[in-house]
Amino acid sequence: MAASPFASRSPSMTVASPNTAIRLKASAAQSGSGSAGDVKTSSQPNGELTEQLNDSVAQNYDRGKKLGEGTYAVVYQGFRRDTATTVAIKKIKVNADYKDGLAMDAIREVKYLQELSHPNVIALHDVFSKHENLHLVLEFLPGGDLEMLIRDQNVQYGAADIKAWMGMLARGVWFCHENYVLHRDIKPNNLLIAADGEVKLADFGLARSFADPYLNMTHQVITRWYRPPELLYGARQYSGAVDVWSMGMVFAELLLRVPFVAGNTDLDQISKICEAFGTPTEDNWPGVTKLPYYIETDSSQIIPTSGRDFFSRQFPTAGPVGADLLMSMCTLDPRKRITAVQALRHKWWTIDPQPTKNEDLPQKRHAEKKMAEDMSRRGGEVNDGPFKNAARQLDFGGR
Amino acid sequence: MIEDDIYRTSSQFRVWSYTEQSLLSLRATTNVIASDRVRTAIRRAREAQQSATPSATGTPQPGSDVESKASDEKPIDCLTPEEELVFVRYYCESLLELGDEYKPPLPTTVRATAIQYLRRFYLTNSPMTYHPKKIMATALFVATKTDNYYMSLRSFAEAIPGNPSPDDVVAPEFLLMQGLRFTFDVRHPFRGLEGGIMELSAIAQGQGQTTPLLPHQTAESLKQGILSIAPPPTPSSSISDRIGRAHNATRELLKTAAQMTDVYFLYTPSQIWLSALLLSDRPLAEYYLETKLGGPITSSPANPDPSNPLNEIRTKLFKVLSDCAALLQAYTPLSADAAQIKNLKRIAKKHYKCQNPEGANMSQKRDSAPSRAVSSAAATDSGQVTSESETERLAKKRKLEEQKQNGPKDMFGGELVPDRTKGQ
Repeated sequence: MAASPFASRSPSMTVASPNTAIRLKASAAQSGSGSAGDVKTSSQPNGELTEQLNDSVAQNYDRGKKLGEGTYAVVYQGFRRDTATTVAIKKIKVNADYKDGLAMDAIREVKYLQELSHPNVIALHDVFSKHENLHLVLEFLPGGDLEMLIRDQNVQYGAADIKAWMGMLARGVWFCHENYVLHRDIKPNNLLIAADGEVKLADFGLARSFADPYLNMTHQVITRWYRPPELLYGARQYSGAVDVWSMGMVFAELLLRVPFVAGNTDLDQISKICEAFGTPTEDNWPGVTKLPYYIETDSSQIIPTSGRDFFSRQFPTAGPVGADLLMSMCTLDPRKRITAVQALRHKWWTIDPQPTKNEDLPQKRHAEKKMAEDMSRRGGEVNDGPFKNAARQLDFGGR
Repeated sequence: MIEDDIYRTSSQFRVWSYTEQSLLSLRATTNVIASDRVRTAIRRAREAQQSATPSATGTPQPGSDVESKASDEKPIDCLTPEEELVFVRYYCESLLELGDEYKPPLPTTVRATAIQYLRRFYLTNSPMTYHPKKIMATALFVATKTDNYYMSLRSFAEAIPGNPSPDDVVAPEFLLMQGLRFTFDVRHPFRGLEGGIMELSAIAQGQGQTTPLLPHQTAESLKQGILSIAPPPTPSSSISDRIGRAHNATRELLKTAAQMTDVYFLYTPSQIWLSALLLSDRPLAEYYLETKLGGPITSSPANPDPSNPLNEIRTKLFKVLSDCAALLQAYTPLSADAAQIKNLKRIAKKHYKCQNPEGANMSQKRDSAPSRAVSSAAATDSGQVTSESETERLAKKRKLEEQKQNGPKDMFGGELVPDRTKGQ
C-alpha cells in the first residue's frame, strides 16, 4: 500500500498490503505499551490502523522551503527520506468561502491523478493528511512551463523543438482519453517541464471522466483562449475533441509565440474564431444551430472555412504537413476534428525535421517558482499581469 | 495497450484488491487495534469519572454515573471482525435506501460508490470507533461530489431523514477520505454490463462483431448460435425479451449482492458482471463467453488441446467466475431473514457497550473553528488532566446525542431494524 509510495504504483504491492498493516500494528503496540512519558500522544497513543498508514506515508517526507502560494494551495519543496528524491508538496488550502467540505477542484485533481500514470502526466506520488490539511506529493518539475518559453524573447526555438513538445503533449492527452478522462484546461501554463525536458500535463482541477451517453456536463470549462467553439455555444454533451482543440491552440501559440485567438469576452472569442477558421454553419457543422448559445450570423457576414492554404500561409514554420495537422485539430465540427489517437498517427511526426531530443530542448533552469505558481492556482484561473483580462468565471454546479 | 494493463494502474487494483486471506488478516488487524483502544479508552473514562465524582466541582453527572455503574469492573466485550462486518453491512443496505429519499432518486452508481467507500473505510477503521450511521451520510455526500452528481451540502442534508445539520454530514469528511487513502475512483461493473448487453443484442440482430481468434465466426453464425442455446431459467417470448430479462436480473444483482459482499475487493469489474450474468441466465452468459474464447467454458474440457492457449484461459475463467458467482449467490439481505435480524440486534446491543468514547471526538476533525480552538486551548492549558475530563465530557455528549437521536423519526438512530421488517 502507500506505506511504500513509489512502489505503490506497482501492482505487486497490493497483495503485500496486509503485511504492511501488521508490521505497523506491531510497532504501534510496542510504542503503546511502555511509554508513560509520551505525554504528547497520550490521549491517542497510536490511532486506528488507517491513521497509522497515513502517518507512515507522511513520515516519508521532509518539507523544505516554500516555493509559492496561490489561491488554491501552498507549494513547498520536499524530500523523500529513503531515496533522497526531491518532490513538490502541495498543501491544499481550506477554502473559507466553500462550506461543503473539500472543494471540487481538489477532489477532481486527487481522483484523476491517482488513476493516471504516464510519463507525460504529472505524477502524484502520494497523498497524506497532516494537521487536518491535505498534502499532495507531486513530481518536482523545475523546468517551468511552456508559457515561459513561449514568452521569453531570449529563448530561440524551431520546428523540431515544437514537434518534440507537441508530441509529448499529444501522448499525455491521448493517455487521459484512453482512460476516459477529459482534462478540460489544457493551456501552456498547465504544461510543466521536468528537469530532463519532458513535458507533463498538470492541473487536473477541472478534469472529469467521460459522461455516460445523454448525460450533461458543464460547458464552463477550459480557459477562454483555448476553449473550443462547441463549449462557447453551450454544448452540454461533448468529448475528447474539446481537449484536442486546446491542443491545437497550444500548437498555434508555440508557432506564433502569441496566443492565436485571444478574445476579451466569450462573444469576442467566438468572433475571433470565426475570423480565423470560418463561420460555423449547418453546412460545415450539421446541428450547430441547435446549440443553446449559437449566434446567427447574417449571410453576408459568413466567413468561409479556412483551407490548407490559409494554415500554410499563417504557420510557415510548421511546414505544409504540420499545418495540415494543426488544421485537423482546429476543425470547427467536433465530430470531424481529429482525435488524440489519430493525431498521434499523423505523418508530421515522422517526416523531417525529427523532434529534438529532450536534452537538447531549450530549457529554463531553476524555474521551480514558476512550477509552484502553476500548481497553486485554481483550475481555469488565469495569471494576473498582461493577460488578466482573460479571467473568467467557473461554475462547479453544473452536471 | 490492453484493458487489463489500464486496470492494473487503477487505485482499485493497486490499493483495494485483495486475496481472501489478506482481506481476512487485514480485518483482524484492524479489529485488534481498535479493541485495544476501546478497552484503554473506556478504562480511562472510568478512572476519570472515579476521580472526578468526589471532586469539589459538585456538578451532578447522571449520564456518566449510570454508565459507570452498569459497566463497572466488567470486562469489555468487543465486537469480533465478523460482527463488525455484519454491522457495517446493515448500514450499507440502508445507504441503498437512502438514495431513494432524493428527488430524483440518486443514480445507482452514486449509491454504489458510497457503499464501496463505506466498505473500504471499515477495512482499516472499526465501527466501534466510528459509528457507521455517522459515516454513511458523509460517504454518500462525498460520492455525489466524486461521481459528478454534485448538489449543495444543504440540499443534500435536507433530504436525509432525521434532518442532520450540514455540519454533521460534512464533519467526518476528512476522516473518511483518509480512510479511503485519498483514492476516490471506484470501478463499477455497470458499464461493462451495458456493453455486454449491447453486444448480445447486436448478435441477435445478425450484426455481431467477430473475433480474429475464432476465424470460422460470421455475423450469421453468431446469430444462429444465440438462437439455438439452451432455454433460459424463465421462459421468454423472444431472444430480445430473453436478453432484456437477463439484463434486468443482472443489474439487480449488481446493485445489491455485488455491493454487499466482498466481490469488489476480490474480483475485477468484468469478472463481477459476467458472474452475475451467469447467475441470471447461464446458457446466455456461456454463449457470450464462447463467442470470445470458443467453448465450452468448463472446469475440465472433454478433450483438451494443450496447444490452444484459449483452453487454459477458459479453464481459469471458469474457476474465477464460479467462485465469484458463489459469493454473489450466497447473499441475502439482512432484513429478509429472521435469523440474521436476530443476530444483528444482538450485535447492535453489544456494539452499544463497546463504543470508543473518544471516537466521537475524532469524527469532528474538521469541526468549525471555534470549537476546535476551545478544545486545543483546553489541551494545552493543563495537559493530560484536561484532556481526560474532555474525554468524559465527550462521552457524556455522545450519550446525550444518542438519546436524542433515538427519537422515532431518525432512521439512523432509531431502532436498528426498520419497521418494515418487524412483522417477520
